[in-house]
Amino acid sequence: MTEVLAPETEVSLHRTARARLYHGETRVDFMGRKWWGIGVSAALIIATIVSLFAQGLNLGLDFNGGVQWEVPSANITDAQARDVLNANGVTAAEAKIVTVSASGVERLRIQTSEQPADVRQKVSAALAKAAKVDIKDISSNSVTASWGKEITNKAVRALVVFIILVALFIAWRFEWAMALSAIAAMLHDVLISVGIYSILQLEVTPATVIAFLTILGFSLYDTIVVFDKVDENTVRFAGSRLPYDDVINVSMNQVVMRSLNTSLAAVLPVLSLLVVGAGLLGAISLREFALALFVGLVTGSYSSIFIAAPLLAWVKGQTPKYKAMRGPRAVGVDLERLVMGGSPAARREAQRLRSARAGDAAAVGGASVNAPEALLTHAPRPRKKKRR
Amino acid sequence: MRRKLVYSLSAILLLAVSLMAITLGAGYHPALGLDLRGGISVTLRPVTGQAFDKSSLDLAVERIRERVDSFGVGEPEILRQDDAIVVNLPGVNDQQQAIDLVNVTGKVYLRPVIGCANPVTTTPVTSIVGTATTTAGTATTAVANTTVVNLPTATTGASATSGSTPTSGAPGPTRRVNSVPPTTDPASATPAALTATPPTGGTAPTDTASSDTVVATGETTTTVAGATTTTGLPFSDPAATQVLPTRDGGKCQVGPSGGTGEVFVRDSAAPRIIGGGWGVTVDLKTGGSGEGVWNALAKECFNGTATCPSKQLAIELDGQIQSAPTVNAENFTGSVQITGNFTKNEATKLAQVMNSGALPITLQAEAVQTVSATLGKDSLRAALIAGAIGVALVLAFMFAYYRRLAVVVLLGLCVSGTLVYSITSFISRFYNGVLSLAGVAGLIVSIGVTIDSYVVFFERLKDEMRAGRSLRNSAQRGFKAAFHTILVADSVSLIGAAVLWYLSVGAVRGFAFYLGLSTLIDVFVAYFFTRPAVLLLARSKFMSGKKIMGMEPSADANQALGATS
Repeated sequence: MTEVLAPETEVSLHRTARARLYHGETRVDFMGRKWWGIGVSAALIIATIVSLFAQGLNLGLDFNGGVQWEVPSANITDAQARDVLNANGVTAAEAKIVTVSASGVERLRIQTSEQPADVRQKVSAALAKAAKVDIKDISSNSVTASWGKEITNKAVRALVVFIILVALFIAWRFEWAMALSAIAAMLHDVLISVGIYSILQLEVTPATVIAFLTILGFSLYDTIVVFDKVDENTVRFAGSRLPYDDVINVSMNQVVMRSLNTSLAAVLPVLSLLVVGAGLLGAISLREFALALFVGLVTGSYSSIFIAAPLLAWVKGQTPKYKAMRGPRAVGVDLERLVMGGSPAARREAQRLRSARAGDAAAVGGASVNAPEALLTHAPRPRKKKRR
Repeated sequence: MRRKLVYSLSAILLLAVSLMAITLGAGYHPALGLDLRGGISVTLRPVTGQAFDKSSLDLAVERIRERVDSFGVGEPEILRQDDAIVVNLPGVNDQQQAIDLVNVTGKVYLRPVIGCANPVTTTPVTSIVGTATTTAGTATTAVANTTVVNLPTATTGASATSGSTPTSGAPGPTRRVNSVPPTTDPASATPAALTATPPTGGTAPTDTASSDTVVATGETTTTVAGATTTTGLPFSDPAATQVLPTRDGGKCQVGPSGGTGEVFVRDSAAPRIIGGGWGVTVDLKTGGSGEGVWNALAKECFNGTATCPSKQLAIELDGQIQSAPTVNAENFTGSVQITGNFTKNEATKLAQVMNSGALPITLQAEAVQTVSATLGKDSLRAALIAGAIGVALVLAFMFAYYRRLAVVVLLGLCVSGTLVYSITSFISRFYNGVLSLAGVAGLIVSIGVTIDSYVVFFERLKDEMRAGRSLRNSAQRGFKAAFHTILVADSVSLIGAAVLWYLSVGAVRGFAFYLGLSTLIDVFVAYFFTRPAVLLLARSKFMSGKKIMGMEPSADANQALGATS
């Protein structure tokens, strides 16, 4: 981030990039860098698609049906477990046995195809005996294949309904172009998250699905914070014929700190779940959940800045109204003015600091015609209160 | 204005404190889900391709609950989610036991009663006919003293109504018979023929090889009336002679089933006021499978043959006798009336049972999950520790970033936490909800959402101050704008939570619920706590320091707290 935020002119209110970021004085030309974001996303999406076709997703038991046992493995080996399976009429050859570590205890995770209840019970008992543990310490999970399919269908249905409702909501609250961009950014997040699961062949469980669905919420939250600002700025610059790209740029600079902070605030607990809960304390069920959330949160904050906003600029740029206003983007000092502009106090303060630092006020000459204040000969009449 | 803010602030603090006091005082606490303390979860669904409706599923849920309760499983969670039933049995770790527990067939059997041991009254006696006016029995009489009746259509008068007085000293039964079935040939149907018609056709509960299909497993075949007291409800075995409990604690010995609820017309059973008391009327299907089966049984009981010496016909559902009316007529056409000392609720319930019996559903265990108690405990501990560390990290970040203003975040989190804890406890206590691992995760995630609101507000506040406004002014304007954003963003979260809750099953639902709950609380706290707290702080000396929230008030600010360079 520091690279992006490096000073571009000699004039600045605060010297370091960090301080400017902190004080909301950034003037990053996000739109000028949109191809970076789009390029990275395109690469990730291509990788996702290739991986999905090549190796697909590692779907867990709950989606394919089958039985799974988890046995503390202190006293039982892989081979012994297979013997137990064979002895109870389960073909051990097709069983998948892995060792997982939870809370410092090694566990064997044994997965087989669907088995009737009495067989399951017998295997549980036999495993408990072989592992020299109480049957209470054995976890088992059995799902029929049809139920797995049902769960998948339900999740997909929930997703579709969710997208439609959210699109309607955003369109109603803001506008269609925003709904379109927000949904596209959201789908982008889901696709990339799924891609990461496919590429790394991480197991997809119901917890993962929950997490993915949550990601959608987060991704939208971020996007909406940005769009809310854009919406506000559209009104603010309505009279100044400012290209939409500039409106977006200004908005992004104004909310970048907010976005970073909200993302950080959301990531911290999840990171704690992942590192402390799943990593140090070894709760497997937490890991499944936290990992997907983490991946989703990161892509979510990324997409709200690098996907949703440029997309919105592009869609809006096509409308006749903004097509006519196209022009060179305001960058550097001009952008800074737009970002900071609006309040006379801020401008005076900026002016004072600048002259104090640079020694000559002329440095600011050649102000952009696009700046709203340049068009106004007197202070703007307070805006009428309107329903927003 | 100031007074209003103080009111709002004190009100919400008072609310939080008193809720917490009530919760702790009454000893409520969130019930932990299965995945946090071990147990078995069974997900049931009607066997594919079967016609069913939601009400029969609801009834099945009720039946499962009664059954599970009767076995004394602590804090079970039994829910219908769309067309699936999820049964969570904490503390149970025997899969077979769990499957037996949820063994609800929804099948209604009609079984001749051999005799009843009745805790309250004497066994109902063999008198068949009563007068319409009798209102003998005490309200507490056992099921067995309800009485069947007859054709509503026929006219009063014939043989049966000969109006004898309540006979043989039976204290309980209320009897009324208005009419006589038109034609009867008592000899024609032999008991043997009747018992030969077990539950009709293909739906007969066969002993299944794979016991995944939850059907009767014919276990208990206790023989002596009233003698044995098994733990919990026995399992129905329609082919045997069994002793089964009645709804009010009595016991009856019943013979093999002579027919199922399928003799009734679907949805025809309804509670009615019959002769001053509540009763149930139900229509019979025409033809052999309806009236044929029923009349064969009725005849048997009416005549008090060896198979049905008590003249009572028991209506049994999943090992429990719902009602055992005395048969007062031999032949029925079209419909049947059951009267007795029913309350309205009892009548409604009986009607419900008969309706569901007309279209029974066979449930199948789609997913059975056992969680070991140790694994569950470990997960909970890990989630709590991770949650605490997460909160600490976020708070540290907030204090580093917003300095003194972060006090509001700290207090706000306390208020939200208190509200969530109390509400969760109340829900556990009164609505049978539990906090699962997914729920805990949902709550931890929602910390992020809550913090988001503060960040949105504070950043906005800084924007306003940067624009040269005083802190006091900025706080007000900032909140207005920020709350707008928070509302929109939270609405989206809420839509998500609602959709997930409505459309999903199992763990996802728990997660969605707690996400939705904390989102609502977030909006609530933002308006009633954060707003007054920040606005009041902005006026106080506490925030008038130079470097509040890490930025200097602008030189143009009204207070002129000192220009900086």
